[in-house]
Amino acid sequence: MASNAASRRDEDEVCPVCKSSRYLNPDMRFLINPECYHKMCESCVDRIFSSGPANCPVAGCRKTLRKNRFRKQTFEDIGVEREVDIRRRVMHILNRREEEFDSKRAYDDFLEQREDIIANLVSRIDVAKTEAQLQKYAADNMQSIRANQAIEAEEASSFQARMSLEQEEARLRRQAVRQEYETERREIQAGREDFLTRLASGSSTDAAAIAREGHKVLLKKSSARRSEEERIRQKQAALRLDNKRVSNLSTVEQAGAADTGLVKGLRKIKTPEPEKPYDPFMGYVPEKRDYYSLQSYYPSQYLDPIRNDARMLAGGYDLREYYSRTLLEAFAGLSCFVGEEISQRDAANTSKSTATEGASMAVEGGENTA
Amino acid sequence: MIEDDIYRASSQYRLWSYTEPSLQSLRATTNAVASERVRAALRRSCEAHQSTATSAAGTPLPESNMEVKNKDEKDVECLTPEEELVLVRYYCEKTLELGETYKPPIPTMVRATAIQYLRRFYLTNSPMTYHPKSIMACALFVATKTDNYYISLRQFADGIPGDTTTEDVIAPEFLLMQGLRFTFDVRHPFRGLEGGVLELQAIAQGQGQPAPHLPYETAEDLQQGLLSIAPPPVPSSSMSDRIARAHGTTRELLKSAAQMTDAYFLYTPSQIWFSAFLLADRPLAEFLLDVKLAPETDENGLVNPLYEIRSKLHHVLTECSALLQSYTPLSSDPAQMKSLKRIAKKLYHCQNPEKVNLAAAQKRESTQPSTAVQSDAGIVTSESETERLAKKRKLEQEQKVRQEDDVFGPELVTQRTKQ
Amino acid sequence: MALSPFGSRSPSMTVHSPNTAIRLRATAAQNSSTGTASAAVSKPVQNGDRELTEQLNIDVRERYVKDRKVGEGTYAVVYVGHLRHDPSSLVAIKKIKVNAEYKDGLAMDAVREVKYLQELKHPNVIALHDVFSSKDQNLSLVLEFLPGGDLEMLIKDSDIQYGVADIKAWMGMLARGVWWCHENFVLHRDIKPNNLLIASDGEVKLADFGLARSFADPLFNMTHQVITRWYRPPELLYGARQYSGAVDIWSMGMVFAELLLRVPFVAGNTDLDQTSKICEAFGTPTEENWPGVSKLPYYIATDKAHLVPLQGRDFFMRQFPTAGPVGADLLMSMCALDPRKRSTAVQCLRHNWWTIEPRPTKNEDLPRKSGGTKKMGDDLTRRGGELDEGMFKSAARQLDFGMK
Repeated sequence: MASNAASRRDEDEVCPVCKSSRYLNPDMRFLINPECYHKMCESCVDRIFSSGPANCPVAGCRKTLRKNRFRKQTFEDIGVEREVDIRRRVMHILNRREEEFDSKRAYDDFLEQREDIIANLVSRIDVAKTEAQLQKYAADNMQSIRANQAIEAEEASSFQARMSLEQEEARLRRQAVRQEYETERREIQAGREDFLTRLASGSSTDAAAIAREGHKVLLKKSSARRSEEERIRQKQAALRLDNKRVSNLSTVEQAGAADTGLVKGLRKIKTPEPEKPYDPFMGYVPEKRDYYSLQSYYPSQYLDPIRNDARMLAGGYDLREYYSRTLLEAFAGLSCFVGEEISQRDAANTSKSTATEGASMAVEGGENTA
Repeated sequence: MIEDDIYRASSQYRLWSYTEPSLQSLRATTNAVASERVRAALRRSCEAHQSTATSAAGTPLPESNMEVKNKDEKDVECLTPEEELVLVRYYCEKTLELGETYKPPIPTMVRATAIQYLRRFYLTNSPMTYHPKSIMACALFVATKTDNYYISLRQFADGIPGDTTTEDVIAPEFLLMQGLRFTFDVRHPFRGLEGGVLELQAIAQGQGQPAPHLPYETAEDLQQGLLSIAPPPVPSSSMSDRIARAHGTTRELLKSAAQMTDAYFLYTPSQIWFSAFLLADRPLAEFLLDVKLAPETDENGLVNPLYEIRSKLHHVLTECSALLQSYTPLSSDPAQMKSLKRIAKKLYHCQNPEKVNLAAAQKRESTQPSTAVQSDAGIVTSESETERLAKKRKLEQEQKVRQEDDVFGPELVTQRTKQ
Repeated sequence: MALSPFGSRSPSMTVHSPNTAIRLRATAAQNSSTGTASAAVSKPVQNGDRELTEQLNIDVRERYVKDRKVGEGTYAVVYVGHLRHDPSSLVAIKKIKVNAEYKDGLAMDAVREVKYLQELKHPNVIALHDVFSSKDQNLSLVLEFLPGGDLEMLIKDSDIQYGVADIKAWMGMLARGVWWCHENFVLHRDIKPNNLLIASDGEVKLADFGLARSFADPLFNMTHQVITRWYRPPELLYGARQYSGAVDIWSMGMVFAELLLRVPFVAGNTDLDQTSKICEAFGTPTEENWPGVSKLPYYIATDKAHLVPLQGRDFFMRQFPTAGPVGADLLMSMCALDPRKRSTAVQCLRHNWWTIEPRPTKNEDLPRKSGGTKKMGDDLTRRGGELDEGMFKSAARQLDFGMK
């Protein structure tokens, strides 16, 4: 925003209200009021409005202005400023998000609608009607508006957080690289000195050998250090918190109120029924029996000794499992009348396949000479 | 009822339950298809023979040639479904005996599973196509695998009297499994019987609990009820004793009659053991039914909604007990044994030659994968193969003549009275 | 109950249709009457030459089409396939290899898998749709297609973060699967994170029943060499031959711990090492805290000096802070040394940990394999409604004036 530079241009030299010039007040700053977007210098604002609301001093404008609504102009063009304010206001209210719409078409329609409203307000067409529309919408959809606002706030703050985190990381990385560079240089330096001293002390035949060795050592050192750093970096990456999981903001909204008549095509929001408590058995009912009540002990000459067999029991053998099984098998299917049920099933099957098989059967039957 | 629904989810209920008529028609169809197959195969083999005989110079087997030709002259007489059933029944009994020969003997339930496998297999296959002798041993082996009683094939084959090899035992395995449609779980009535007995004993000792829908009964009521039932067929010293006796008798019935009849296809395991129990000690069984399903009218004289079930059940159980009662072991009935011999002889002539030697077929298959082997157990029959088969049959016939006693070759196990 | 969910039931899963049989008989008669004078080799071209079961088998085989191989092991090859008449319905076809060295016919693992999966039907147990044999007598199992990988992948993947609500959801599903097996009196005996497969909707399913067996009748011995070592309970390490569903509960407890710590909790290198690690972690078993333990075949008494006392709730709370006190209590109940003191599956599911806050996450919100499926799903779902190309294409962007 070239605001500061622009405000210092020559055309803003003079305040339209008090006619004082920049020449006399080099630090003169201008404020505007979104009621009428007239510009005046700070001192005028202080002078005229400190004691309460008053009429705008610009000739012809009789709007009542308040001191607290004066603010700095952000755009060079006052028209743009006004439009942006209007836009901001409308979008604050009509803040539906893309995911709330049934189809892309509906969302696009909504966007167009919004633009229409903004255009109307900006060009002062049907202002009253449009304002009324807006207010009505706002009143009806208070909840959804607020919810969407909350989402936006969340996104903004998380965005900020991510930005700062990334900057921090970048800084650390730069630092790490710098350090590495330093250490490497120092090592090379040290290596060189060591090399020289050894050359000086050793014989000429050793020279080549020492040279090679020195080189090798340097390489080894640098590669070792690099791999070490790599490992550290990986560990840090693993420990880094993952922001993938956004908190579950449930956009719980009233189903009916979505269609205000103003905004069309909103996805039908299902009012989530109060969630049923988690059933660990998922519908099955354990241990339900119709023929018998399972007991934890049945007297039996054959089974009782097992209750005293320490070794079997130590392994965990549980007679109750056996009781349960035998009792179940005793009665499972007692009332399954196979004859009836199977003939029913066969009848159902043949009737299903009769249509397709009938024709072929008729053909074959004729040829059957057996 | 919940327990019934649990049973309805089992593969036994879904795939292996039939009505009497559907069972009959299924067997008839299988028999018919197999008969056609056999006739066609015999015709083919005989034709192949003739061409071999005429083309080759020194025919090794003029007699077999003649034999085959003769057979072709008159139409091959195939087994009827009833005869097939008798045959299968005989082999089921043999399975029990085979299980006995092992040390320690193979558990009852494993043997019962094997028997059911046999019966199920022969619903959709015919003894003419696959001789029960070869399938029986395999069924028992597969049963040991599926019923948590694993013994190695070698051990198993060694335990079979006679010279059965491991290949012989394992050759029909895949076929058997396919015939079972890969459903290996068989629900037996034995554990159910145990459960029923547990309940009765508990009631007898005053520790019984009423059924969930009859909460007003107390343990004492139940005990009283139990002790006041009609006397048993065989007198015993105490109620516990009586229950134990009934337990034993029922178990024997389940081991034999339940396995050898079509009970598993027509009734559920709990109905089977209840019917057997009815035969062993009627008043006791009826008491238990009353306790579980309530008598005709309850205390207040109102008709019990479960009564309809009760009467249907009564009907079903009567049928089933009749079925169980009608069974007599083949070995004990000379008339049946004679008919069996006749059937066996008949089978000898109408065996499908193309499916006879499964073990050899498998071996051949594994060593010559390149030759266009047809799918499923060696249906390939080349001319030389047919010749070989014919030779084998001649040898077998000679062998048979040597042992006039039993058509099935050496007896698997000497006849023993079951105890 | 391995009913195929794809509409009509597969022929192999129902009582055979009488029509198939009649069809066969008719064509058989046809063949024989016309007299195939061709040479001995019978080429099974027509239906009539096929036996009833073979025909049924072919019917089943023909219902599925193999697409591509997705995995291979020593025991089986796995393909992805689909229903012939519905290419969008995916299945996994597991073809079991014939092991030439194993002379006893079909392998026990295969037998067990087929047997038990045919009987068990539950949302948390992998579904077996069909079984058929392929042309070379190999067994093929048509299983549910579970593209989400397994729990082990999620635990080990450092790019995936999950919290206690996710753990609660996963454990709930595991517990239900195990409970269902126990309800049907089947022991799974190989519960570990890489046998817990994840479906496309996030549901966890128990798979690999190769070691399963039904509960034993009294006095029947079972083998103690089951369950992968790290998840094996102490009674099996001590060689117990009779045991109960508690063995599965211990494995469940170990999986729970692993979900919390993201590393296997007790990882021994040998059976002996495993036992000692368990003692270090949970306490040493003695006759006082586990009556009868000294009678187990491989029990070795520890001298008094090295006795670790039985750990209490505070230990669990310290070791597994994420679970919270209630969660630690549940974990403790699953990891009791004495199997009699261990929770049963029903008791686990009745624990109050499931109902306290936080609520278990819904399936659609559970973490997935990083990248891959979810990404794809997201991309595909964004294309909502009718896209009206043209006029408003560029109007969508919202102008941001740095509000607030």
